[in-house]
Amino acid sequence: MSITTSRRGFMQLSATSMAILSMGAGFASLTGCSKLPAASGYQVLRAGDIEFLSALAPVVLAQSYPGTLSPEVAQERLMHMLDKLITTLQGYAQGQLMMLFDVVQSAPLRVAMDAQWASWAQASAADVERFLTSWKASAIPIKRMGYGSLSKLLCMCWYQQPETFASSGYPGMPKKVNITHPA
Amino acid sequence: MTEILHRSPAIAEVSGIVDPIRAGKKAGWNMQPASAFANDSLLSADVLIIGTGAGGGTAAEIFANAGLKVLMIEEGPLKSSDDFKMDEREAYHDLYQESAGRMSKDGAMSILQGRAVGGTTVINWTSSFRTPSHTLEHWAAEFGIQGMSPDEMAPWFAKMEERLGVALWATEPNKNNAVLRDGAQKLGVHWETIPRNVRGCWNLGYCGTGCPTNAKQSMLVTTIPSALEKGAQLVYSARVERLIFAGKKVLGAEIVALDEHHRPTATKLIAKAPQIILAAGAINGPALMLRSKAPDPHKLIGKRTFFHPTTFTFAEFADYIDPYYGAPQSVHSDHYQWQSVTGAVGFKLEVPPLHPGLTAVLLMGHGIQHFQDMQKLPHLHSMIALLRDGFNEQSQGGQIELESDGTPIIDYSINDYLWDGVVRSWQAMVEIQFAAGAKAVRVSHVDSPWYSTLEEAKAGIAKLSSRSNSFTAGSAHCMGGLIMGEDQTRSLVNSQGKYHHLDNLHVFDGSVFPTSIGANPQLTIYGMTCKNATALADKLKTA
Repeated sequence: MSITTSRRGFMQLSATSMAILSMGAGFASLTGCSKLPAASGYQVLRAGDIEFLSALAPVVLAQSYPGTLSPEVAQERLMHMLDKLITTLQGYAQGQLMMLFDVVQSAPLRVAMDAQWASWAQASAADVERFLTSWKASAIPIKRMGYGSLSKLLCMCWYQQPETFASSGYPGMPKKVNITHPA
Repeated sequence: MTEILHRSPAIAEVSGIVDPIRAGKKAGWNMQPASAFANDSLLSADVLIIGTGAGGGTAAEIFANAGLKVLMIEEGPLKSSDDFKMDEREAYHDLYQESAGRMSKDGAMSILQGRAVGGTTVINWTSSFRTPSHTLEHWAAEFGIQGMSPDEMAPWFAKMEERLGVALWATEPNKNNAVLRDGAQKLGVHWETIPRNVRGCWNLGYCGTGCPTNAKQSMLVTTIPSALEKGAQLVYSARVERLIFAGKKVLGAEIVALDEHHRPTATKLIAKAPQIILAAGAINGPALMLRSKAPDPHKLIGKRTFFHPTTFTFAEFADYIDPYYGAPQSVHSDHYQWQSVTGAVGFKLEVPPLHPGLTAVLLMGHGIQHFQDMQKLPHLHSMIALLRDGFNEQSQGGQIELESDGTPIIDYSINDYLWDGVVRSWQAMVEIQFAAGAKAVRVSHVDSPWYSTLEEAKAGIAKLSSRSNSFTAGSAHCMGGLIMGEDQTRSLVNSQGKYHHLDNLHVFDGSVFPTSIGANPQLTIYGMTCKNATALADKLKTA
């Protein structure tokens, strides 16, 4: 078997990762991070989660971002789309994702998990690229899971936006016109 | 890119479509969201059907035709053709489990499953295959399933094919499908045209976001309206939390109303009926049985869960493929499927439609490389292989577990047996793609570059790693978990679909399959349900 999933969660196989993530979750709950309410206008995403995802977006989405939108509108649109999707994830998947968000909020845990010391708002594109690349190629399954989830969520939510159609070359869907007064 | 900006769909506008659900609402059909009821309301019927997909929808019409009072409970919302705008932004949220973000426990398998009135039939790609004879014969031999030989099933398939307009697609395949046909033809690989459940199809390509023209003969526009017309009741945005047992009987179900984000509210309902039909699919059905602590002396609930793990390859063509337009699936190949029934894993070849949101996920990766791949979209073809899991002792399937809040966790992994099939399927697909004239190919793996010759591709694929989350093993087919058989130590329902350990619970959906099907499963669910629901309805009428 190439994969072992005997234990609940994110944190199997690697003792180091397990310790870091448990510590992370513990640390996050000690500092009250995981108990923070969702940001204003959001269902689940907290201010720190938005800062993290906003730092990832231009690196993951490259020249497609912000497309024909202004940077502010693109960020706002993408974050709300992500929030709407993550809200509908069921207990386990949503819990794993929120735990990942907790861990990347803490500078020491960020460093232990191959990311930079600086906050996500201050991280350079090169910092973000290093973080993504190390998780993508990691021997530790939870990091690959983290990379896969983050990149897929961002790409899926972004490329559904009509303002990206010009960059993918998708000519768009037919126009739907409903009958307003059925006979 | 400038030329691309001026391109537009061949059919620019979809208009003049009458929405049958809105018409039914005006005609007084009995359908409400659970939130419309007062807390603690009691609903009752002769037959309570949990889930309105291929199994529940088919059963509802049969029981309503038999003169029984039918109550359908559906977790998803009621959406219909006026809501279907061919827009991924709305469709995934409205019509898919977890907004199409459902995945296995390790994150490695993305699972596309419907969650709406009509279930997955509202969002599937219309391929309608009879259960392969090898599969039915394997079930009889290995699981003791009775009365379901190919000959015995044939009239039931024929009946449902007629009901749902199933016919071979007579129109020229879109270019995405033509690549499979032409490449296979050149190589002497056997291919066939796909039978589809459509009437008056516009060939638009948006089956996956809810058919905007009502051509797809999903449960939403066929059996469910027919049952409602005969007085059946439909309660939607209603999640069954648990079944209520008394001895060997199910008394009814506890239901919680869901809000617009599909989250539980404080409104709870109770539904009671002398006969209960479970048709909630292979993930939510077993999860409901586990939450309810249903009798299960051999601890089989949620075991043997199968997915047809699906692999993807991409090919770039000089010509436009426009893989987002046209009937999404019209050509398939079983050339690699039955070389051995129970040996190395076989697979079926098909193609997927490529709309930009879904494509961005399947391409995998990030950054400039991913962006460059996305820019190829109009010239991109993709092929898929559906691995036939569950026929070999090294393929025992996954398991449904419960999170602390009672929601399902899907534990499934690609082991060495399946990985062998992943690699062989990639090799087979890139060969067909090159034979059809591809300039370059790549597989859905984070480490795969574009390969410009077959030799380079074959050598490159052989070196790719089987690490979880590095490649796409997707699924649109959830099967098993409440499996059928006559040996009570190895199965949970008998050949009539009756749960072994309860007197009045039948399971009519894909969760009863003891293996995967080896083909898109909708017609198997329709045929088995038609057979078993008809027998049960006859019994209830004479009782």
